[in-house]
Amino acid sequence: MAQADFRASTVEQPLLLFLLSGRRFGVEIDRVEQILHAQPIISTPRCPACVDGILEYRGRFLAVLSLRKRLGVSGPGPEHPAVLILRDIGPDGALALVVDQALQMIRIHPDGLMTPPPRVFGIRAEYIRGVGNADGHPLVWLDLRKLLTSDEALTLQV
Amino acid sequence: MGGRVAVQAPARRRLRTGGESSGARERLLLFRVGDGTYGVSLEGLWEVLLPEGVTTLPTPPYQVCTALAYRGKSLPLIRLSELFAIGSTAIPPTARVLLVRGRRGAVGLLADDVLQVAEIETARIHPFPAMATTLPRGFFRGAVSWQGRALFLIDGESLADFDEVQRFYADAPRPAR
Repeated sequence: MAQADFRASTVEQPLLLFLLSGRRFGVEIDRVEQILHAQPIISTPRCPACVDGILEYRGRFLAVLSLRKRLGVSGPGPEHPAVLILRDIGPDGALALVVDQALQMIRIHPDGLMTPPPRVFGIRAEYIRGVGNADGHPLVWLDLRKLLTSDEALTLQV
Repeated sequence: MGGRVAVQAPARRRLRTGGESSGARERLLLFRVGDGTYGVSLEGLWEVLLPEGVTTLPTPPYQVCTALAYRGKSLPLIRLSELFAIGSTAIPPTARVLLVRGRRGAVGLLADDVLQVAEIETARIHPFPAMATTLPRGFFRGAVSWQGRALFLIDGESLADFDEVQRFYADAPRPAR
């Protein structure tokens, strides 16, 4: 489903800001159901490369995707990463996304958002809804729906 | 032919126990593959066999699906440890063949060990996340949390649709007329 062009609107968009390998990313806050910490992850057979396994969440099982793996970030992540429970995404309707650290919620105005260049941090613009600024740092608003359901290999430039 | 062991007739009745939830319950045979615990419905289980009749077919299409000699027939046998890409190719002494009912007939599942029969409330069985495995959708009919661990339930009916099982059927010699 095509998403509306946020830059054409006049309404502020609340984003959850999170860190991955020192870069700041954002995701629509209304897509984030909960932020968890230190969840036991259950291994599954024949796991896709960017999946760590599954976790039990409110009586159901969710696939746990590692954004570090999805973006080709090598090396170990933080000892206590954050797990974002995302709704309305992927074939299962929800999933858990492991990021390095959840930072804060921000409100971004359409005027403060720019059309992404062909690549930002090595990520193609197709997977980006916009780029902006958060406390003096570049912010990339990811299109997680596309990013997490695509098979294209990506490499985050850090 | 595989030796028959610990055979239990499929349970067709729904059990209710006083003081517990009155929801539908299902009996499962639990088994181990690697470090994981899996289950099949007892209703779809025909027999549990010793893996004496397993024939190794070294040709590439049969790396996962091999042949089981059973009562004069050759049945498809899925080596679960190879399918799940865990463990060694050697068959451990605790291994058992679970003969389950598939849409085209019996299919064998080679498990590392058979654990026990468990009775689980059907409502507690939840969908297995499709994103969590590259195995064909429908291979797992669900997952359930049981005694502090997750059980993955294999859908015996769906095994006939499994690529390697279909190749096995396609390559199987036709009976003489």
